[in-house]
Amino acid sequence: MNKACLIGLMSCLCYNTASAAEDTDYVSSGKSANGSSLSFPAYHDPLTELDLDERDNRFQFERSSLGALNVQDPLEGMNRLTYRFNAEFDRYVYLPVVRGYVWATPGFVRTGVSNVTNNLRDIPYLVNNLLQLKFERSAQTTARLLFNSIIGVGGMFDVAKAMDLPAQKEDFGQTLGHYGVPAGPYLVIPFLGPSSLRDGTGYAVDWMIDNGVNYMEHRDYMSDHPYTWGIWAIDLRYQTPFRYGALDSPFEYDQVRYLYTKLREFQVEN
Amino acid sequence: MTRIKPYLSPYLFAGLLFSVSHCVAAEPFAYPETNPFMATVAGTPEDLKAPVPDEIDVQQDDLSVRVLPDRKLPSALSRYRDLQFRVAWQDKPAPLTFLIAGTGSGFDSARMDYLKRLLWQAGMHVIVLSSPSNFDFIAAASNSGMPGVGAEDARDLHTAMTLALQEAQDKKGFEVTEFRLAGFSLGALHAAFVAELDSHLGQFNFSKVLLLNPPVDLYSSVGRLDELSYTRVDGVSDSESFYEHIFQKLSRHFAQGGNGDIQSSLFYEIQNSPEALTDPELAMLIGAVFRFSAADLNFMSDLINNGGRFAPVGKEIKVSTSLTPYLRRALFCDFTCYINNQLWPAWEAKNAGRSIEDMAYETSLRSLSSFLQGNPNVAAVSNADDFILTRDDYQFLADTFGERAYLYPHGGHGGNLDYKPVADRYMTFLQGGAHE
Repeated sequence: MNKACLIGLMSCLCYNTASAAEDTDYVSSGKSANGSSLSFPAYHDPLTELDLDERDNRFQFERSSLGALNVQDPLEGMNRLTYRFNAEFDRYVYLPVVRGYVWATPGFVRTGVSNVTNNLRDIPYLVNNLLQLKFERSAQTTARLLFNSIIGVGGMFDVAKAMDLPAQKEDFGQTLGHYGVPAGPYLVIPFLGPSSLRDGTGYAVDWMIDNGVNYMEHRDYMSDHPYTWGIWAIDLRYQTPFRYGALDSPFEYDQVRYLYTKLREFQVEN
Repeated sequence: MTRIKPYLSPYLFAGLLFSVSHCVAAEPFAYPETNPFMATVAGTPEDLKAPVPDEIDVQQDDLSVRVLPDRKLPSALSRYRDLQFRVAWQDKPAPLTFLIAGTGSGFDSARMDYLKRLLWQAGMHVIVLSSPSNFDFIAAASNSGMPGVGAEDARDLHTAMTLALQEAQDKKGFEVTEFRLAGFSLGALHAAFVAELDSHLGQFNFSKVLLLNPPVDLYSSVGRLDELSYTRVDGVSDSESFYEHIFQKLSRHFAQGGNGDIQSSLFYEIQNSPEALTDPELAMLIGAVFRFSAADLNFMSDLINNGGRFAPVGKEIKVSTSLTPYLRRALFCDFTCYINNQLWPAWEAKNAGRSIEDMAYETSLRSLSSFLQGNPNVAAVSNADDFILTRDDYQFLADTFGERAYLYPHGGHGGNLDYKPVADRYMTFLQGGAHE
């Protein structure tokens, strides 16, 4: 009897710790091979808590999804070819090169490279924040540039991030959108991927801003040392998590087109 | 973890003993997400996951094999002519585990990558295969081009596994000491069918088979998933889009000061804000994801079989051809529609006089009862609130797998598989350790 009490106490303690975060019923079900009874958490049907109406909501999914497929894409044939080209380039050239880069360099070197290129990207971000009259974000970006370029040794260390100054990404496509320019036709750009007429134009303008400002004379340096363009391109892919085929669908083109369009709507609005 | 009743019962003593031994053996289950829909979508918080190495640090590669020499694919889909798979290998002889992905998921999905790292870290070689229901497997490795019949899918998988293993060993030169098998969701059902088939063929002789959140009756489970897409969502009227409704919530969240940068922590951030998604919204999201998988499956299966239901028969589908019109049509056909319109007519033609219930039974775990019951080498992990299961299905898992039914009170459909105490338990089983 004493022994039973002791075991009972232990199991009560045990039971309490185990169920501290929950309030679950257990039901016993049969016996295990050695004869002790087994218990399992009681079944709970989450569907009973939903209002599942097959008649009334018959077309909610279809209506929503069909609407999502309406994206302005007059150049679809060409875009699909370019998309496929990008996917093949990614599979046979770009990603293998990035894998080689990952294999050949230690992590801190790759992070340093990314920090340097991202520091340079802060220049067009700053210009676009100013163009959209987002002064607080402009001030933050200016602070980022100063901290990272000086304390962060030419951008090699993202010290600003540690100071709670994250990058305020604004590109010229967003600036155009901010002033009411519509996205225009969807466009898949060779090597770069999904874009639109507005955003592709924006990309070119940002490129010219970068060239015009020539921050820390990096453009001169890159022109003198063409291999740096290669590093820039490899780092760009290294920093981009997107993988072709990751959506597991024969309709990947359609889904990426929709997601890209929505993503840009967001970025313009915020 | 027995519930202690306030009255004396003959089982009390045994129950107490069980509680004690159980508590000593395992960390307490304190998975924090008690909402099954949230758990399914958000998984396990980062700090509660079983630690795994970074993807970059795993010795792995993607390889491909030609499984069906005669398969013809339109050029738009020629990328999927060969079956791609992922292999992670060890430098010394080790056990090899085949991992099978779930409904509409490929070998490269995030869940498979996590499981692969878990197994690889524990010293196993791993070969990850796409779900037979995924479009790439249908294109490259499904004989009938019409997945969803247990025994047929198992034969396709068994062939694919044999070829993949050969290719991986040729290319990477590793040595295998024994074979194990694991699958998630529909992949778990497939794992059971492959294991049963192999018990007759004697080729791999799997030492352990692990079923992670398996359906019991496949057709009833996909029916329940179909239902999720009919969830009534407050604030979405008859003329509005559910997606726009969600995006508007996100937009409001950002307008209220959320960072404009889309990050991985976004979901947690939103769920802790006034714009948190409700249960019906989460259920509808899950339902919509599965409906898109159903559309993919419908389209691919019809295309391979020249059914002409979505893409016209004989139409040349070039890389530049818009597939959007076919997607528009395929969106209307859910999983149940696939079973009724594609699977059933084909099955009936081969099985005259038998009913659709017979077909359903033959693709359920129930048809494998004699193989599974009391088999010490097969275990199942699931949750009391896994919404793909009916009450009977859940009971079947408990009854059939007994002490190898690792059933947890919360976690939805696979939300707690990364949770450390859960992962520790199924990894112990897979590695042949003592049962708790």
